[in-house]
This record gives sequence, structure tokens and C-alpha cells, in this order.
Amino acid sequence: MEDMIEDKNSLLTSLGKQFLASSLTDASLQQATEDTPDFAILPWVNVVKIGGQSIMDRGRSAVYPLVREIVANLGQHKMILGTGAGTRARHIYSLAIDLGLPTGVLTVLGTAVAWQNAQMLHYLLAQYGIPFIEPEGFNTLPHYLMERSAVICQGMPPYKLWEPNPATGRIPPQRTDTGCFLISEVFGARKMIYVKDEDGLYTADPKKDPSSKHIPRISVEELLALDLEDLIVERAVLEFLARARNIREIQFVNGLKPGQLTAALNGEPVGTIIHKNGDAR
Amino acid sequence: MTLHGSGARHVESSLMRESLVDKNVIARTEGQVVSILPDVNIIQIGGRSIMDRGRSALLPLLEEIVANQSQHRMIIGVGAGIRSRHIFSVGLDLGLPTGALATLSAKDSAQNAYMVSCLLAKYGFVYLEAPFVVQLLPAMLAAARGAVFNGIPPYSLWEHPPLVGKLPPHGSDAGSYLVAEVFGARSMIFLKDVDGLYTADPKTDPAAEFIPEISAQELIDRKLPTLPLEPAMVDLLTRAKLVKQVRIVNGLTAGNLSRALAGASIGTLIRQ
Repeated sequence: MEDMIEDKNSLLTSLGKQFLASSLTDASLQQATEDTPDFAILPWVNVVKIGGQSIMDRGRSAVYPLVREIVANLGQHKMILGTGAGTRARHIYSLAIDLGLPTGVLTVLGTAVAWQNAQMLHYLLAQYGIPFIEPEGFNTLPHYLMERSAVICQGMPPYKLWEPNPATGRIPPQRTDTGCFLISEVFGARKMIYVKDEDGLYTADPKKDPSSKHIPRISVEELLALDLEDLIVERAVLEFLARARNIREIQFVNGLKPGQLTAALNGEPVGTIIHKNGDAR
Repeated sequence: MTLHGSGARHVESSLMRESLVDKNVIARTEGQVVSILPDVNIIQIGGRSIMDRGRSALLPLLEEIVANQSQHRMIIGVGAGIRSRHIFSVGLDLGLPTGALATLSAKDSAQNAYMVSCLLAKYGFVYLEAPFVVQLLPAMLAAARGAVFNGIPPYSLWEHPPLVGKLPPHGSDAGSYLVAEVFGARSMIFLKDVDGLYTADPKTDPAAEFIPEISAQELIDRKLPTLPLEPAMVDLLTRAKLVKQVRIVNGLTAGNLSRALAGASIGTLIRQ
């Protein structure tokens, strides 16, 4: 190995030589990787997350109009549609916690619920040639996006038993909001849009407090500093957005209001946008 | 099943209609966790520290594993090593993101794990990919004499972006530990090429002092410039429910693994 370091004609880049000479946990090596370029793998794709409890659990009154809106956008926008889990996940989480099962097992169980929702969405969109893709099949995704403009996947990251424990309690900390965010970040997507049942973020829960005010745009740092008891999105998404290299902002729209998803896809500032600091417009 | 005023159909449960992001709801989910495989030991074989050294380091270690087979059930996680460093440097040069690097690197540890499983095959060890760990591990352990798995967790494209730079934070240390934690294993032992933790790198600093025991939080607070373990693993240990300590031993010293399996104070113990 030392020969490789000394060999001036070796095939390694200068960073490669540093990789041989130091430990991967060295702060200096990690810093050196900070300055490497970023290539966007699918810069034209939009990741759209369809909420579980907020959309899918409502059945046809919420899902049918949204499906129509997705179909209407197929010619203009390419979409990766990820699904949330919802009320059945809440049931199985509470049952599994009662049985003493660990977080990794809860992730396996919750993934099945997001998968069911993705399958249902897939049945509704099948006639447009839109496939359902498992995490293992993501290599075929560019082809389907080019041919059919959209694919459906379940939103949970494929961590299975390897899901880390949360700081408190036992609910998997990285669920479907996080899984969809990570898809958008790794592909360098054009947009990350969350379709829920609210117009976005409010100063308080608008269902309970009529004096609450809508927040159209806020930085992730400001939002984290508020240290709210409840949030519109999984905390892990905010942590990852703060350190993301490709995704600069995420958008939350009301899927119960026709046209909001289309407006967000067209780049309009509907709902709420949470952005990285330094990206305020 | 109930239909609420909000229009959503709900299944009744203690978490029904709750926000799973709400801190108060999360706090209610604390409670006793059961061990799924309480008598199993998870052994991690380092990639750079052991595998890359070839037969002189690996074969004596595998002989020791076999010698312990009748007393201890073992599942072996294997790390990646030098090939991952090479593909990281090429991938970074091409501008690839963290998730892509994680997907590539997992193949290096899969190769190493597969080689270990070939060398242990005649003693009844099987190689299990992640889906089989989820579905078949207990059955495999009942039928086979042990198992080998890819130490890198199956995060692939979904790997977390790190705080600094672009390297995947969850390697085979974190992945092996997560398997130990989720199954509530008897022990988690890391086999490396150092005797344990030091205040500095003992290979370059003769004044480095050995640390026989330390808590995970203390280790994080010390901010040591180099660790023989992934910081992500130490972080996971702070949130352990079942496996609340891990041991690092020198896998190049004969007898260390046997002593660690027997519960002797050898190497460095990191506790929650």
C-alpha cells in the first residue's frame, strides 16, 4: 500500500492519495470531501410526497382529485410519487410498542403500510403506464421517468431493522417525509413537494387556534430555533435540509385544494416553503 | 374503524389522529423492549484493519471463531476497507452524492462478507443479504451454525447526508451495531488492528494513553481527532435500549476474541 502512495504515476487522484494515508474518521479528510463538486443525477425530476393520514386515509374524496391533477401534469413535469403511511401505521406502532418490539421492527412494520398506500395509488395510475418501484428497483427509474413521466414508490427509507433508535421513545425517527427528502437530495431533484391537508405552516394549529397565522416562507434554522412541540414535517428532514448539498428548499401544499400541487410544480410560492439559510429571496 | 369529522378513516389506537412528530406523543412511546435473540453475539471484522491484511490476519481469527462455535452463537458483520476508499475518491471526483457513494461502498463490504462466508462455509456459516437478515435469520441460526452479513447497513441511496463533507456516515461499525441492538444481542465485539481506544493515534504519537473504559457521551465530548470506530456508532450507543456497551479488541492478537466472548475486560469497553 505504501508503494501506491509513493508512486507518482498511480491512478489515484490527490484526494485518493489522502484516502490511503489517513483514517476515514479524520476531520481533515472529511473536510477535504466538503470541497468536491456536486453532480445532479436527475435535475429535472420532482419528488412529490402524498401524505398518509392527511390524504390517503381520506379515500376517494381526497385521492381522486389529486390523481386527476397528477395525470394533468404528466406532460409538463416528471415526478417521483412517494406515499406516507397514516393511521394503520399508528395502530401497528402502538401494538408493537405494547408487545415490547424494538424500533427496527417497527420500521419493518411501518414500511408495509406505506407500501400498501403506494400500491393503491399505483392501481389508480396504472392505466397511464406508471409503475410502482421498490427501493431495489431504483436503477430502472430514469427509464420510466423518461417514458411515462412518473413512478410511484413507498416513502419509507429502506432501513428495515437497521433504523436507528430515536432519542426518546420507540417510533422510527426516519419515516416517509425523510425517505422522500433523501430521494430528492441524492438525485439533485428540481423540487421536493409535500402534499398534506393544510395550507402549510402556521404559528399554531389552525384546527384548534383561529388566531394562528400562516407562514409562507421560513428558514430551517429559524424553524428549528422556535423549538415547537409539534411540526409539519419529521424533524430528521429539517436536520438533513440544513446540511443538504443539492436541495435548497422544500414546499408544503394542501392536497385538498385543487391546483396547489400544479402551482408548486410550476414554481409558484403556494403553501409554505422551508429553505436553507442563505437562500432567502 | 371510525370516520372522523376531518374526513379521514381511522383505525382506533393509542396513536390515532396524533402527530407522530409531537414531542409529547413521542414521550408516551417509551417502555420495555424485549430481546429477540438474546444469546447471539455480533462480531464485526474490520475491513481496513483486518480484511485488507489477507490470510495472515484473517485465517487465525476465523480459526478462533470456529473454536468458540460450540460455546457461543455468533453472527459476523464484515467491513469494506481499501476498495471503498478508492471508489470514494473516484466517486467524489465525479461529483456523486453521499447516497450514491453508500450504494457503491456496500458492494465492497458485501465482497468481504462473502469471502468470509466461503472460508467458514464448511463449519455451517451462511451469508445473508439484508432481506434475509430480516426474514430468515432466526431460522438460519436454528438450522445453520452461524451467519455472516454485510456490515454496511442497507441505506443505499437513502444514506444520511453527513454534517461535514460527503462521506457516508454509516459504515460497517454502525451497521453491525444496529443489528446487535435490534436483536438485543448478548454482546457486540469489534475486531480491529489496535488494542482499543487511545487519547491519540498510538501509531504516530508515543505519548498516546490507552483508554480501557469510557462512556459514549464522554468519548463524543473528548473530540478525539481520530477514532478506530465510526462516530455514528458512538452516537447510536447513546440511544441504546438493549445493547448498552460495545467492546473493541485487537483482532490481530490471538485469544482476544475468546476472552471478549467470555466477558473478560480486554481492549476498550464503550458504555452508554
